[in-house]
Amino acid sequence: MIGVQTTQVYQIFIKAPPERVWEAITNPQMVAQYFFGTQMEKATFAVGSSVRSWSPDRRTLWTDNTVLESKPPRKLVHTWRSLYDKELASEAESRVTWEIEPQEGGYSKLTVIHDRLEGALKTAANVSGGWTLILSGLKTLVETGHPLTVFGRSDM
Amino acid sequence: MSDDDDRVFKALADRARRRLLDRLFEREGRTLTELASKMAMTRFGVMKHLRLLEEAGLIVTRRSGREKLHFLNPVPIRLIHDRWIDKYTESRVSALARLKAQLEERGTA
Repeated sequence: MIGVQTTQVYQIFIKAPPERVWEAITNPQMVAQYFFGTQMEKATFAVGSSVRSWSPDRRTLWTDNTVLESKPPRKLVHTWRSLYDKELASEAESRVTWEIEPQEGGYSKLTVIHDRLEGALKTAANVSGGWTLILSGLKTLVETGHPLTVFGRSDM
Repeated sequence: MSDDDDRVFKALADRARRRLLDRLFEREGRTLTELASKMAMTRFGVMKHLRLLEEAGLIVTRRSGREKLHFLNPVPIRLIHDRWIDKYTESRVSALARLKAQLEERGTA
């Protein structure tokens, strides 16, 4: 499939120290404001533990991922399976890596790598637009304290 | 950060650079050699364009063994999108974009 990538890389600069970016990734109240309203259960983010996220009404389990590597506030690696869609849920597990590197001028460079998608081509196509919106929303939330206005649209 | 916007627009204002992005959209994780192979310019010229795209954040490079792989990073374009297009105009804009795509598809069929 043209335009479907089995290794996807997304990068964004955020005017905040790595600790605040880490908080935005791991704090359920913050995640809900840029990740399609998902309700993440409080998680330890220890290696081997799970991170479960529910739909905004808490009725449907959207993701139940396992932490593979955890180095706060610089690196988080976890599995990925799109449970929010039946067809996608049946595809093979993939992997998401969050890297946070401090930069000059009080910035952090956040890189998200979604890879090992060879067995999940529909997931690969599905998440590619989502990650850009999520990262744009995460940046706005961390830098301004407010969610992005496009958040919550129904067509994504 | 308007400096960042300037870099993105400048990077996109060149046909060869847009072509490089298109090639990364078709398949990511390409090496310089691969990217230079179908371009009507020297390897050095391609390197220069890739550097500009990387400075604008439109390309991210990752090392894989001895190779340097290039990936398209769509986030800066998303940021420009989010700055001017909010949820109220989004549906109208995407309807027009769909109409244009449909008409053009018909035109070339």
